[in-house]
Amino acid sequence: MPDVLLSDTIAMELGAQEPWPQPIKLYQPYEVEQILLPDNANCLAVQAYLKMCGLEFQIEPRSNAEYMSPSGRVPFIQCGAFLVSEFDPIVSFISSKGSSLSGELGATDKADMRAYISLVNNVLVNAEQYVCWVDQATLISVTKPRHGSVYPWPLNHLLNWQKQNQITKKLNVLGWYNKSLDEVFGEVKNCCTALAERLEGKTYFFGDEPTELDALVYGHIHALTTTPFLPSVCGMSATIGRFQQLIEHCRLVNTLYFKKESDISVGQVYLHDTMSQDSFCNSTGSLESLFPLTEDSFAMLKANEKNDSLEETCHLDLKEFVIG
Amino acid sequence: MGTVLAKEPQAPREFGTTSHNRTDQKREDYRKDYEHSAYYDQERDALPRKPTLDEPKPVNLQRVRARVDKVHIDGLVRTKDDIVKAQVTEMFKAKDFQDVIVRAHKVRGKLDALGCFGNIGVYIDTSKGSDATPEGVEVTFTVSEMKRIMGGINTMVGNNEGSIIIGARAPNIFGRGERLQMEYSYGNKSSTNVSVSAVKPFVDSWLHKVLTASVFSTTNDLPWSGYKQCDTGFLLDLALNRGGTGTLKHNLQYEGTYRNISASKQVTFRVREQSGPSLKSALRYIGCIDKRDSLIFPTTGSLIQFTTEVAGLGGNIGFIKNEFVMQSNWSPHEFATFQLGFQSGLLQGISNDMQISICDNFFLGGPLNLRGFDMRGCGPRCEGNSIGGDVYWALALHLYTPLPFRPGRNSFGDLFRLHGFINGGNLTNCSFKFDRDLTENLKIFTNNVRCTTGAGIAMKLGNVARVELNLIMPLLFVRSDVLQQFQLGIGLQYL
Repeated sequence: MPDVLLSDTIAMELGAQEPWPQPIKLYQPYEVEQILLPDNANCLAVQAYLKMCGLEFQIEPRSNAEYMSPSGRVPFIQCGAFLVSEFDPIVSFISSKGSSLSGELGATDKADMRAYISLVNNVLVNAEQYVCWVDQATLISVTKPRHGSVYPWPLNHLLNWQKQNQITKKLNVLGWYNKSLDEVFGEVKNCCTALAERLEGKTYFFGDEPTELDALVYGHIHALTTTPFLPSVCGMSATIGRFQQLIEHCRLVNTLYFKKESDISVGQVYLHDTMSQDSFCNSTGSLESLFPLTEDSFAMLKANEKNDSLEETCHLDLKEFVIG
Repeated sequence: MGTVLAKEPQAPREFGTTSHNRTDQKREDYRKDYEHSAYYDQERDALPRKPTLDEPKPVNLQRVRARVDKVHIDGLVRTKDDIVKAQVTEMFKAKDFQDVIVRAHKVRGKLDALGCFGNIGVYIDTSKGSDATPEGVEVTFTVSEMKRIMGGINTMVGNNEGSIIIGARAPNIFGRGERLQMEYSYGNKSSTNVSVSAVKPFVDSWLHKVLTASVFSTTNDLPWSGYKQCDTGFLLDLALNRGGTGTLKHNLQYEGTYRNISASKQVTFRVREQSGPSLKSALRYIGCIDKRDSLIFPTTGSLIQFTTEVAGLGGNIGFIKNEFVMQSNWSPHEFATFQLGFQSGLLQGISNDMQISICDNFFLGGPLNLRGFDMRGCGPRCEGNSIGGDVYWALALHLYTPLPFRPGRNSFGDLFRLHGFINGGNLTNCSFKFDRDLTENLKIFTNNVRCTTGAGIAMKLGNVARVELNLIMPLLFVRSDVLQQFQLGIGLQYL
């Protein structure tokens, strides 16, 4: 069928001329019992972006959102007859409709923004996948029960296994699978350093108005700081918690656009034996559980402080992304 | 049967020496025409005979008393004696010669049904030796066992699709009819089907039980509904049949299937929102009475089949599904056969926690189903995709005649029939409730009934499948239906 692409393009063009079909529907997995860290971050990013654009939307939780999505990834939005999935295509779809947050940026800033977005997608997303699917403790006690929660036995085990294989394969190709946890935290630290440096002294990444980068970073930082990690991977939130600018930025977006009290708590550590499925769900909203950093994470901090040359490598990374 | 010609009984022959080369010839005859029950004719032709001067006189076989003294089974290698014995014991109940022949035929069918033997020959001879009775006969079944492993590549047509099948099977593994078979088929519409099944027959009592366990994986593309379905599952089937060849058959099945529906690109959201994996765990009962004289072009007899399926024993799919199929044939004249076919089905949910997926729904339409409509072309639709319904009925009345002037009579020409038909039906989605008014429920027989009429030519393929080429005129239809004026259909099941 040679004319599929053509008809798609025509449909897209025609769609661009149509007025906004209101409201937009955002499909995502169930937040309380099903969604996993990487998906949660992406869903939050899209929600933040839509709110920043001032678009009305309606969240539709579906257990099979991942399978409904045209690309197989969540979230996706239904806008009239159109289905658009994932953050980047959603952003370009919305800008084709005329509401863009990055329209006024100069060419250099735009290129920078693309570079930072790739940085986040290449580092934070992979780190989240790693924590969920490679770290054995998290995999067994959190990821598998949550991912399989919407399917009956024995389908849950089969689908968990399939998904694990799929993610492992992907991380292997990207060279993340064989990393140690410390290396992963190191990558996250690099990424955050670059982001925090860009943010230095400003409200948003590009001046006083938010852009899609702000939405994306908000989504990831919020997901990473509010998710209670197991002791084995609590270094993740500890790593992020040291970047005060990013936490502040996240808090600001949260209060401005989500009209919620900031519930970002840094360095939460849950003891393995007291943790259950329920405490997980309920504790995301609690402020009280501010635990001091554990000895492990202190050791980690010291280890990371030795690497002073991180910033340079980060800049190098950025340049590569710009070229890419 | 009545009277047939028989040989003089006073000419005993030495079995196994002179007649061996004739065996093959007899088998050939037998295979060619074994549907006919006038079986003794061939028996007579096959046996060596002395030229007789006087014309053979008609003999009433029912008056020729006979007693089966011995039954021999030749050619058993690894098949165990007990299952073969259980099949042939009824030979000893024969009272007269006709009875012997009828029972021999029946036993041959039973031995064939064991699935252990390739060819089965039957000899009836007078009994000799010291313990022979005056009216005694000896019956010899010459069997040849199948090889340990068999395989083949063949083509098949089914459900409007041609496919190639690569199969291998190991018959009679432990000597009691157990077999293992594997099959892989690939269709021209990129559907694939892999199945491995183990079959264990229990044939030693009057009730034949066949237990089949199979694992399968199928992929089907359904462009009319806009999705692709992948099934992977396990099926346990217990078939019950009186005597192995009776007309009443029961099947009890358990099926556990993991279904994955992937929506195609341009599909309505109604279908898309049902994509994803689901697990069906269901019990099914199939009861079938088949008294037709042929599968594809029957001239007399009828078929009644009930299917009840209860899903929801585990898994996340829950429903009760009932289906009824009926076919009745009547031939008032040699050249005219009327056939009435009726199908109906009802699908009900059992609880709100259990879903019903689009692939559990009923669909109507197709060249061998409700003729005149495209595949799944009748019934509820959403943005051009057929979404199926939960209750349907379809009725078809055919009139079959042989080809005019009977070209290729008794050979190639008998594969064809001309037929004229009128068929109708309805499929809706009315979330059937029994507490509602009956007239409300019966609206399916009055509102939006589809009806088409037409004529065409039908052909049988290998006595299992049929091909139809039809020209159809629609009489009653609904705006959203997809109609077709010319239809070519190939399939195993037909309305």
